[in-house]
Amino acid sequence: MPEPLLSIRDLVVEFKTDDGIVHAVDGISYDVMPGETLGIVGESGSGKSVSTLALLGLIPQPPGRIVSGTAMFKGRDLLKLKKKEQRAFRGKEVAMVFQDPMTSLNPVLKVGYQLGEAIKTHFPDEKDEAIRARVIELLRLVGVPNPDTRADQYPHEFSGGMRQRAMIAMAIANSPSLLIADEPTTALDVTIQAQVLEVMKTVQTETHAATILITHDLGIVAEMCDRVLVMYGGKIVEAGDVYTIFKAPRHPYTIGLMNSLPKLTEDEEWLEPIPGAPPSLINRPPGCAFHPRCFLSQGRDRCRADVPELRMVGDGHYAACHFSEELVDFKSKFAEAVPA
Amino acid sequence: MLTYIARRILYSIPVLFVSTFLSFMFVSLAGDPRQNLLANPKLSHAHYKALFHTYHLDVSIPVRYWYWLQDVFEHKLGSSLLTSQPIWPDITRAMGHTLQVIGIAEIIAITLGVAVGIFSAVKQYSIFDYLFTTVSFLGYAMPTFWLALLLQILFTDIYLSYNVRIFYTSGLNSGVTSNTWSLDRLQHIALPVATLAIISFAVYSRYMRASMLDVISTDYIRTARAKGLPERLVIMRHVFRNALIPVVTVAALNIGGLLGGAIITETIFSLDGMGYYFIQKLGQLDVYAVMAYLAITSLFIIIFNLIADVVYGYLDPRIRYD
Repeated sequence: MPEPLLSIRDLVVEFKTDDGIVHAVDGISYDVMPGETLGIVGESGSGKSVSTLALLGLIPQPPGRIVSGTAMFKGRDLLKLKKKEQRAFRGKEVAMVFQDPMTSLNPVLKVGYQLGEAIKTHFPDEKDEAIRARVIELLRLVGVPNPDTRADQYPHEFSGGMRQRAMIAMAIANSPSLLIADEPTTALDVTIQAQVLEVMKTVQTETHAATILITHDLGIVAEMCDRVLVMYGGKIVEAGDVYTIFKAPRHPYTIGLMNSLPKLTEDEEWLEPIPGAPPSLINRPPGCAFHPRCFLSQGRDRCRADVPELRMVGDGHYAACHFSEELVDFKSKFAEAVPA
Repeated sequence: MLTYIARRILYSIPVLFVSTFLSFMFVSLAGDPRQNLLANPKLSHAHYKALFHTYHLDVSIPVRYWYWLQDVFEHKLGSSLLTSQPIWPDITRAMGHTLQVIGIAEIIAITLGVAVGIFSAVKQYSIFDYLFTTVSFLGYAMPTFWLALLLQILFTDIYLSYNVRIFYTSGLNSGVTSNTWSLDRLQHIALPVATLAIISFAVYSRYMRASMLDVISTDYIRTARAKGLPERLVIMRHVFRNALIPVVTVAALNIGGLLGGAIITETIFSLDGMGYYFIQKLGQLDVYAVMAYLAITSLFIIIFNLIADVVYGYLDPRIRYD
């Protein structure tokens, strides 16, 4: 078994609000292997973004607070770094692509300058011409046409897809070993989404960076990821490789997510949503946070009383459900689509 | 950009004519200048007629405006109806004094306001922030005349109790000779400058703080931090320039307005500036002097609006003028 690149243990992140403490991330642990793509899925407010922002020290504190946990990256705990050391990691070893490219670039600075700044910050002695050449090469790599002219343009002269390409170029500028993409395609048109995902793939083959891909789109997970974490209410409820999860999910929430997807090959009159609403992160339901919406928990006290542990349910497959065994025979509607 | 400025200046010309025409109508209708002449018992009826004719007071107001315009261009704003003195020397002298006072006050207010705004935003909810929030709100809340009088009383008391003259509380110079850049002049204008600076500072620091906080929470600042950029550079390079944009408008319009004279401050400190000039001439209903003042202030407002727009375009590349 190779060493994991990133190893997160018992990460707890809270936010103080006027209504009480929001338990955004509630004790999660996972590993990221070198070169792999790990998908984190979950609905809004499940803690998927916060868990990665915490790694980079990008959670505004206050109101946010990293309560406990470790994040070992290349032998060092990212959460214990001093501000200056943390900055040395940010954008060099660990880089991030954000959700909304329309607002993620500074409107008053040229795109080329903003990209070059990412390099200059970590290599202050680099010559300006060398940086410029690298910027143009990066823009070309992510498929921005006429990179020479484009570098001298401002963000408002770029389309959404082009901006996201520029953001990706910025993220890989220093060949990071870990790339975090936080819903990189959510704000884009569907056709542009596909292009940006292609760029992400190119970039991965080019840099061999491990990638954490945060999304709520299972289609993207299927397309891009090696392994998946499913998050619900600040906890990981299921983890495993992408084939296993799509073929035989073992957590009722994951099953709910799969069922809510329409299948293009069949006539479906209605979408099948998960009943109920996401849990309040201030007053979490006792026991399993998913029990008020779960089809397995009806009339079962254990779901209301005990918080289920994430336990192994198969080879490299983990689920946090007391009654996961009852789902062994469940066949996902994507079962045939998944290669054996 | 140059074509834009040229076009804006061309647009300003009709604006200036319309605004002076309207003010001319209103000022002329506010009181009949002939009454001043009629009140003089030494003049005979024939004299009146002759004077009315020379000053074009026997024609309708729009026609009088036309004569006034000719006067403005031929004789540098013309001369006063009451004293027959040319207006130009008086108003330029007053302008010089106002420029000095407002100039110094605004430079201080902008520098401090922007600096304090940045610090307050970066150290939000710190003691520093609370302290300056309090100071700013005091500055906002205090009426100008009250603040000016407080300063006057304070320094008069200091003079009376200790017999030390730190700042003078009235006028521009101690002697008869006027010296623009002397210690004596600075001692005289310090209090009006302080009054104006405190009030402008309050406005600028609040705007700057709010604007900085707006920008600090944007996505592109998170991007800048995610690059590993040191916080100092994040603030100065990424936040500052974006935050300055709204402050520029406020400052430019404020300065444009103030150059017309800080009427209250100048009156309280008996400062021979534009505002003081205006209030005096308005009281005497010296129509052409008042008109000269209004024309100059309209010009300032137009110029500073243009400056605000040009600086805007420089700071924000999304704004393009063509």
